[in-house]
Amino acid sequence: METENSTILELEEHSEALQTAKQVDFKMVTFSLAGKEYGIDIMKVKEISKAERFTYVPNTAPYVRGVHNLRGDIISIIDLRIMFHLPAVKKKEGDLEDMIILRLDNYFIGVIVDSIDKVVGISSKSIQPPHPLFGDINIKFIRGIVENDSKLYIILDVEKILGAHTQEEAQAEKQTVEQSSEKVHKEIEHDVDLGFIVDTLKTFKKFRVTDLNLSWVKQRFNVWKKEKGSDAESLQLKDVADADQYLQSFYSPSSGRMWDDDYMAAVTKALPESSNGPFTVWNPGCGKGYETYSLTIALKKKLPDAALKVWANDNDLLSISTAPNLFFREEEIPGHIAPYFVESKNGFQIVPEIRDVILFEYHDILNPNPFPEVDLIVARDLLSFMEINDQQKLLKEFWEKLKPNGVLLLGANEKAPDMDWTAREYGAVIAYTKKNV
Amino acid sequence: MRVEYINPFVEAAFSILKEVLDTEIERGELYLKSTSQPVLGVAAIVGLAGDVEGRVLFDMTKDTAIAIASGMNGEELKTLDELGKATITELANMITAQAVTKLHELGFKFDLTPPAIFTGDNMEVTDTEVEALIVPVNLSLGKMEINVAIRERA
Repeated sequence: METENSTILELEEHSEALQTAKQVDFKMVTFSLAGKEYGIDIMKVKEISKAERFTYVPNTAPYVRGVHNLRGDIISIIDLRIMFHLPAVKKKEGDLEDMIILRLDNYFIGVIVDSIDKVVGISSKSIQPPHPLFGDINIKFIRGIVENDSKLYIILDVEKILGAHTQEEAQAEKQTVEQSSEKVHKEIEHDVDLGFIVDTLKTFKKFRVTDLNLSWVKQRFNVWKKEKGSDAESLQLKDVADADQYLQSFYSPSSGRMWDDDYMAAVTKALPESSNGPFTVWNPGCGKGYETYSLTIALKKKLPDAALKVWANDNDLLSISTAPNLFFREEEIPGHIAPYFVESKNGFQIVPEIRDVILFEYHDILNPNPFPEVDLIVARDLLSFMEINDQQKLLKEFWEKLKPNGVLLLGANEKAPDMDWTAREYGAVIAYTKKNV
Repeated sequence: MRVEYINPFVEAAFSILKEVLDTEIERGELYLKSTSQPVLGVAAIVGLAGDVEGRVLFDMTKDTAIAIASGMNGEELKTLDELGKATITELANMITAQAVTKLHELGFKFDLTPPAIFTGDNMEVTDTEVEALIVPVNLSLGKMEINVAIRERA
């Protein structure tokens, strides 16, 4: 044990000597897996150790090698190579496996790697975000990439890899879906008429009532009662037109056209403050593109120095096809953004300066996408029209894809769950940021 | 998939097929797919690189492939022999090349890999993390699916 600790210290000193030139505020233990170099934050590493003959535990995932007695503490041993589907060299009988013992929350876990190299000190500023095309290891497990001594190290995020078990997660997800639909059922069960409306909205408009929009649906129901009288017959939504009428006030301001002055001002306030580096935006469900253009103009005004990049996508081929070359009539353009338009022979167009930062894609949001982490997600009136479990899945994906200080904007009448999101009101617009879990 | 890419592929497929086969062509509804899907029996694949990465896959049954190859060669082929395979490969090359030429005119830079052809029963194609655009084409000789999976280099 003492020898092992002293090796860490020695390694540390050695690498420190090499690194005196630049400011070192992040140290990582480096190791190799299938010939590539990886690093793990040293603060998560309890020690390094060698062992063999782990006690096999039946009925576990294939990457669990078993348990090991580490001076009286029983810890689980995970083979990272098997976990990441990398080739694992079979050790000869009696050869010891290299292990890194990690300290997570309140337990220890051992991971087996090909070989442990040394401790490298780097400046945390030099860590670059992972490239989305890394093949071997799922990008969400990668914290960043760093170059040191002309070697590239992939820094793994151990908490994401080992913190939560995927099966448990799936279980928990299922539970939240059940809970949420149960809750909605409970809320509406005393009111047959409301329940009927909830069902017909789903049939006619694919509008699913969940926690996300329940408060609006109830509020709207009260107004609806006043409009239609409380007799059950006239309350019902008989066709698509009725459902459209019911949902009329659901849609966010300035839907399907360029944003007006007031709404743009409110959104501008909700946008993140100054940034002069890269600033990436994801705008799923952008439809014909009015929303994306308005948003990009607002961003350009607020963050003139940022290197903007906006991904906009929709799964309606007809709408999205026209988006990159949208033409406007003069009366469609609100005065406050007129400078962002140029006249061409078919009508007015957005200036290239704005158009060039937007990438319109024909994409189904339920399919995986290669986008890296983003600074802003704008998904207005999108989730309410998704299946209940897809709503949950997407909210989770938004959470994962958003940078720590990133902002999420939903539709005017949609609410993100308090459990994961902090809401800030800016007039008509609510901006959500991630709660630290 | 970037909106600008869709039309060149659809247009190229139609103009080339019309030119080489001289038959009626009907377009099916375009859609997106990301799960693994069965391949009908003959699949010609062309890789793309450059501003993007991805591939285009031309998928048809063996009978359709033989009929197309027969039509293009102007002689009746009985089996999908060397000549037949070479013909299908060439068709894939022509369509992809024309699409890429069109995209070049729009300012996108793509490179092609030499086409390859796969034949066999019960094949399946899986793209993890890239969704594919499916362009179904109904020919009088049979059905062909053009499966385009491209993603931007971020």
